[in-house]
Amino acid sequence: MSGAMEKRPLPGRPPAPRILGPVNGLGLWTLYVKEVRRFLNVYTQTLLAPMIVSLLFLAIFALALGGLRRQVGGIDYIHFLAPGLIMMTMMQNAFANTSSSIVIAKVQGNIVDVLMPPLSAAELTCGIAGGGLTRGVMVGLASGLAMWVFVPLRPHAPLLIVYYAVNASLMLALLGMAGGIWAEKFDHIAAVTNFVITPFSFLSGTFYSIERLPPGWQLAAHFNPFFYLIDGFRYGFIGRADSSLWLGALVVLGVNASLWLLVHRMFASGYRLKA
Amino acid sequence: MTARPAPLPRPLGPFNWRGVWALYRRDIVRFLRFAGESLAGPVMSSLMFLAVFELSIGGVEMLPGVPLGAFIAPGLVVFSMAHSAYENAAVPMLYDKMEGMIGDILSAPLRPGEIVLAYTLSGASNGLLSGVSVLLLMALFVDLAVPHPLVALAFGLCGAVLFALAGLIVGVWADRWDGYSAAQTFVVLPLGLLSGAFFTLDSLPEAARLAVQFNPTYYVVNGLRYGLVGAAEGSLWFGAALLVGLILALGALAWRMIATGYKIKS
Repeated sequence: MSGAMEKRPLPGRPPAPRILGPVNGLGLWTLYVKEVRRFLNVYTQTLLAPMIVSLLFLAIFALALGGLRRQVGGIDYIHFLAPGLIMMTMMQNAFANTSSSIVIAKVQGNIVDVLMPPLSAAELTCGIAGGGLTRGVMVGLASGLAMWVFVPLRPHAPLLIVYYAVNASLMLALLGMAGGIWAEKFDHIAAVTNFVITPFSFLSGTFYSIERLPPGWQLAAHFNPFFYLIDGFRYGFIGRADSSLWLGALVVLGVNASLWLLVHRMFASGYRLKA
Repeated sequence: MTARPAPLPRPLGPFNWRGVWALYRRDIVRFLRFAGESLAGPVMSSLMFLAVFELSIGGVEMLPGVPLGAFIAPGLVVFSMAHSAYENAAVPMLYDKMEGMIGDILSAPLRPGEIVLAYTLSGASNGLLSGVSVLLLMALFVDLAVPHPLVALAFGLCGAVLFALAGLIVGVWADRWDGYSAAQTFVVLPLGLLSGAFFTLDSLPEAARLAVQFNPTYYVVNGLRYGLVGAAEGSLWFGAALLVGLILALGALAWRMIATGYKIKS
């Protein structure tokens, strides 16, 4: 009989490419969870260390020459400082998370494992930025709670606090991605951290009201998006700001939208990612 | 055919200078290879601290005749020096352990004391290099008279050696990077930042004052401040004696760890 040689139809349907739909939900979720697990795995370094450092800063500035007695614009200095420190910690950690993730993946070569799966540029941007955003917010929450033990922080405008916390973490996560994609070696990203992120997060009003700056620098501060992040976030706690809140909220939103487009473009064109 | 005499073991003498020098040089070369990165970080962050303090407090005298900038500059030098000495003794040891290169060092004709000496001195030298870089930069912005350079050098050296020994001990003890960074976060950073670098003892509440006096870094900062600015709180001799005592104690502990092979020999 030749029937044994005949091709028989397989039982069931033949395998077909999986239909992903407009958004690859499973892929996006997997990428996000990978980014979050990456920092939770070493939580001493990624959550506890920043919390301790922000507490130490608080202690130094509270103790340094009558810091407890000093006031800024009618508010106890310590209440002025605490929100600034939380914001600074969030910014530095959101940046560190995405930049290190991308640079390490590039240097070790496993970036292909992220680029090969059926994830669009928008999904890549969201997944990785989501990891940085989560780290920023978690670190902010941890240092906020730790400070609350010593300084009674009372939310004045909770929605604004959330708005600025999310936008700050997102901004720095996106900056970290742009920096990570641009950097070719660890040196490059270390230089960006040391010479751009640290100075800007320190000098944008974390520790002092910009009224203390010379007039020229006060004007310059209004072109610095980090200043609006710190100022708006602090308003959420103490109800006093150095700048207009509406302007700040719009600037922050605009900067985030442009950064999102930039990072999306980098992934889409494969800039320094695909040979 | 005349038999050649069998090769003799090389006489090393009471102290293996050449071995210690080779091990010392290795870690200095490693540090200098990444000097741009390893010096830029501490130098930048010290400059940030100085700027932030000037802008947020500024224009006050911390001790009679000592303005804010001159008061905190020695503290910033000590902080970056201590941090760098710790890091540059702990990281080489931990790295050698994790990559298995520790075998090369243990099988070389080096006594435990010589191993401790080489790791400690290279860490301390790298710490001093960071401290001096920060000091030179500070001198651009802050008026430092340096009335007692030898006192400054002596206290700087003590601080660097103390933190290098602490780093070496952590490097031997830690199994992974987690242990190293935990020790850094929970011990080295608090000791460095809450050391009287940024405040006078008088301005502190009673409990905090006592705590700071138990912090060895306080005595390093105080001694260095005396050397660089000419003003100090309390007795320098007590600080010096305490630091030397601590160095001897930590040195003995490190020596014991290497000699017994704690976590480095199986």
